[in-house]
Amino acid sequence: MARVSKSLAIISICALGLTACAKTDEPGAAQSPGQQQGPVKIGISLPLTGDFSEPGKGIQEGYQVWADRVNAKGGLLGRKVELIFRDDASDPNRVSSDYESLITQDKVNLVFGPFSSRLVIPAAKVAESYNMLFVEPAGAAAEVFEQGFKRLFYAAPAIASDHYNYLAEYITKLPADQRPKTAAYASLDDPFAQGTAYGLRDKLAAAGIKTVVDEVYPPETTDFAPIAAKIAAVKPDLVVGGTQFEDSVGLVRALQELKVQPKLAAFSTGPTLAEFPAAVKGAVEHIISPVGWSATATYPGNQDLVKRYKEMFNGEANEDAANGYTVGQIVETAVNAVKCVDPTKECQDKLTEHIRQGTFETVVGPLSFDDQGRPEQAHMIQQYVNGKVEIVLPEQAKTAGIVYPKKEW
Amino acid sequence: MTLLLQGLALGVLTGGLYALLASGLSLYFGVMRVVMVAHPAFLFLAAYLTYTVHTTLGVDPFLALPLTVPLFFVLGVAVQRLLIARLAPENLAMMSVLLTFGIALTIEGLLGTFYTGSYKSVSMEYATKSLTIGGVHLPYDKIIAFGVAALTLAVLFAVLIRSRFGQSLRATIQHREAARLVGIHTERVAGYGFGVGLATAAVGGTVLALITPFFPASHWVWIGKLMAIIVVGGLGSVVGAALAAILLGVVEGMVLVTVDATWATMMFYVFLFVALLVRPQGFFGGRLAHRF
Amino acid sequence: MRTVSRGLPLLVAALAIAYPWLVPNYYLVYAGALTVMYAAMSTSWNLLGGFTGYVSLGHSAFFGLGAYGTGLLVVRLDVPWVVALLVSALLVTVFAVGVGIAAVRVRGASFVIVSIALVSMMNLVVQGWRSLTGGSTGLQIPSPFPGLHRGQTHVVFFYLFLALLGLALLTWWYVSRSRFGAGLRAIREDEDKAESLGVPTAAYKVIAFSLSALFVSLAGGLYAVWFGSLDPIFVFSILIGSYMVLMSLLGGVRNLYGPLLGALIVAPAGEYFLIALGETQIHLTATGLVLVLVVLFMPDGILARFTRKRGGPSIPDESADQRLQGVAP
Repeated sequence: MARVSKSLAIISICALGLTACAKTDEPGAAQSPGQQQGPVKIGISLPLTGDFSEPGKGIQEGYQVWADRVNAKGGLLGRKVELIFRDDASDPNRVSSDYESLITQDKVNLVFGPFSSRLVIPAAKVAESYNMLFVEPAGAAAEVFEQGFKRLFYAAPAIASDHYNYLAEYITKLPADQRPKTAAYASLDDPFAQGTAYGLRDKLAAAGIKTVVDEVYPPETTDFAPIAAKIAAVKPDLVVGGTQFEDSVGLVRALQELKVQPKLAAFSTGPTLAEFPAAVKGAVEHIISPVGWSATATYPGNQDLVKRYKEMFNGEANEDAANGYTVGQIVETAVNAVKCVDPTKECQDKLTEHIRQGTFETVVGPLSFDDQGRPEQAHMIQQYVNGKVEIVLPEQAKTAGIVYPKKEW
Repeated sequence: MTLLLQGLALGVLTGGLYALLASGLSLYFGVMRVVMVAHPAFLFLAAYLTYTVHTTLGVDPFLALPLTVPLFFVLGVAVQRLLIARLAPENLAMMSVLLTFGIALTIEGLLGTFYTGSYKSVSMEYATKSLTIGGVHLPYDKIIAFGVAALTLAVLFAVLIRSRFGQSLRATIQHREAARLVGIHTERVAGYGFGVGLATAAVGGTVLALITPFFPASHWVWIGKLMAIIVVGGLGSVVGAALAAILLGVVEGMVLVTVDATWATMMFYVFLFVALLVRPQGFFGGRLAHRF
Repeated sequence: MRTVSRGLPLLVAALAIAYPWLVPNYYLVYAGALTVMYAAMSTSWNLLGGFTGYVSLGHSAFFGLGAYGTGLLVVRLDVPWVVALLVSALLVTVFAVGVGIAAVRVRGASFVIVSIALVSMMNLVVQGWRSLTGGSTGLQIPSPFPGLHRGQTHVVFFYLFLALLGLALLTWWYVSRSRFGAGLRAIREDEDKAESLGVPTAAYKVIAFSLSALFVSLAGGLYAVWFGSLDPIFVFSILIGSYMVLMSLLGGVRNLYGPLLGALIVAPAGEYFLIALGETQIHLTATGLVLVLVVLFMPDGILARFTRKRGGPSIPDESADQRLQGVAP
């Protein structure tokens, strides 16, 4: 046994010495001339099945709309764009192995990010270690930017904890007699959902609005009535949900059933999805949500996105699709500016450097990034007014005035 | 105090729903000694069918039942006769888990392919109103769920106790060999037992569709909870499972309003382990369960 | 025949050791390391499942605990990773003894349920205990070999997992020849008879349970330092547990190399389904149907099919009474 393990050790040491030259696909290895001419391959792993499949699908569609537009006007640097999708089944092992295979086996020119803060970190680790630029549409949680990634950029206006900034500002500036006094928070145990709710909580608490309920529920929660009962017991002025989709619907229904009538109700993510109004019916009126994108905005490319999306998928574009599209826009601009699209370290370095310096015109507005890849802009606030989604904050983007206090649901 | 009463009331209502959802599992275990991991997947299959009937025909979700209940009964008989009955008896417990796990994956994949991964929900006007008694709110959708569950279970018990089929079924549950000796076609009865179990899933699925949004992978979160209920109730005992379901529903409700959701879910497993340590046959089960 | 059965494992071992040099890129090294990890875990699962017939769908609980134990020792207490790995495996084994005492009191179906519950419970604990584990934010573990680039790290862990697989196979082989192993098999055939004939069934079951947990937790610990980021909902996953079962079953639970063969088939097949049918969820259906077909038509696994033709499985199927002749004094 001892001999076996010793020889194993020797072999593995030899292995280390040899592998460095054994593999022809070293990151940064020169490309064969043939590859320079073919299509620009972009590798993407997305959760098309499993827990995150819903937003994963939206992002995939956003990427496809972008590729469709780029190819319609002649491609990237004159080469056709080809998207290679892998399903990671919402599993981080799969995310890693997808990017690993996309980069070292398919030898893609670029990679785009996956969905969910929980999958972005493992994915970014792979991209980072192969020196690939990593612009991602969904890793908004604060932790994503604390891992020391050098090539990661989040392609949306703001990170999770800043999503409610405009709302926090609005509330704290209300005259004293109208200002809410108490607030209840319920959040899914998820870094992104919690990030949004806690960002607002911390700002309001600092302004003297008392936190009366602060609940966290695990993802497997299906029954929200008891949580609503806790909220009902204290009759708060504000109810804030750090939610995804099903829990936002569950919470709204449960709050209605338990006759909680806050002056303002805000939920992350759920209300921005097209299925939401049908799921909660009349209760949708005056619900507030942070949103990074608006179908009516006139930012460059936005109306094209809305139109193309309708043609390709026969439905209305949503925020997830817009985020995917934004990733494409940023990378496209950078590629056109530095005039290279190879997986080599030099080219990826140039692209990374360009994105870090510049400001980019996208469908969610102009975007720029700090050293850790955090976007430096802010999310808008949307509200359902007369059953329609309206942008109510900030002042310069609004399509309707904010309604406060909300009507009873 | 109101909060505690509220928690109690919600717990009882939810417990009723749990009883309905777990009753099928108890039946399968009773007739075949198998753990049917696919039961929650079938629940959501029923929920999706309900959704289709509701959206395409525009009728009340409960009108899907005349379609889904017979369909699921036939499916249940088919699953038992064509799949479970083929397994070798020596390691039925092991193989049936894997077999039904495979079925669950198959269903999830099909749901995802046909309905896509997006959330679906069936929401009726009455589903967001509630009845208020002395400061305690009783949501109508939960009352309806409880009522449907109680009605279904009552029918189930009536069938089990009164009908000739029920007697054969119970005989099969109690002692298969002896039942065969007195001339019961245990194979056929077991098949029907599965059919009845899956028919309860059809009803349960409709109720679930009414109270919660769902997507193809929703069934996973129910497996552990429902399993805990049937063990605490005593494997194979439909009455035991119903009582355990109410008990755990109440415990969950009370913990939810006093502590938090993580501990509330944890209670299911705590009760499961306590049950195994103190009474491995379950709190309401007979000696039967002990051997399995 | 004898030379074939002796020579084949050696050949396979040689191929495995050479594998990282034979493949053209690091992705395949990575996929290989994952496959070997699954092979090691299903072989250790088989220490319990194969010998005693107790099906645990919840071995990912030990995988997750091993991973989090190692990760937390490295991150919170700055313990060197090798020490962290061993200490955490030891702790998990002690824990498994405790769980085993409660769990093996029940048989068959109840045991399956307990094992599923164990995973869900551990997931809740680790996710809920945010201050210690980082909760849903996850736990990031620094690379143990900062000097190596990613591909080289894969090679190192490929060999580490291979060593673990060797250890698990050796243990299985040793147990299968021992009196202890014969007692475990007697439990599988007829637990009541075994007990009445003097096999200390409870103790044997707990030992088998813990031994199998030990190797799975070692795999978890290695995974933690290799992968570098842990998230409770992913490591405490019923799917990981069910993979161990599927692989063992497909290969053949009564054969030393069964789980290994199963892993070599299932892991690449899973990748294939995902890539070939990746755009829709139909690949889940494909996986599910394969599982159903295996259970229905090849319940003894592939190896049993082949070896029976060549004169019986490696552990002959005998009745409980015959087997007990060898156990009871």
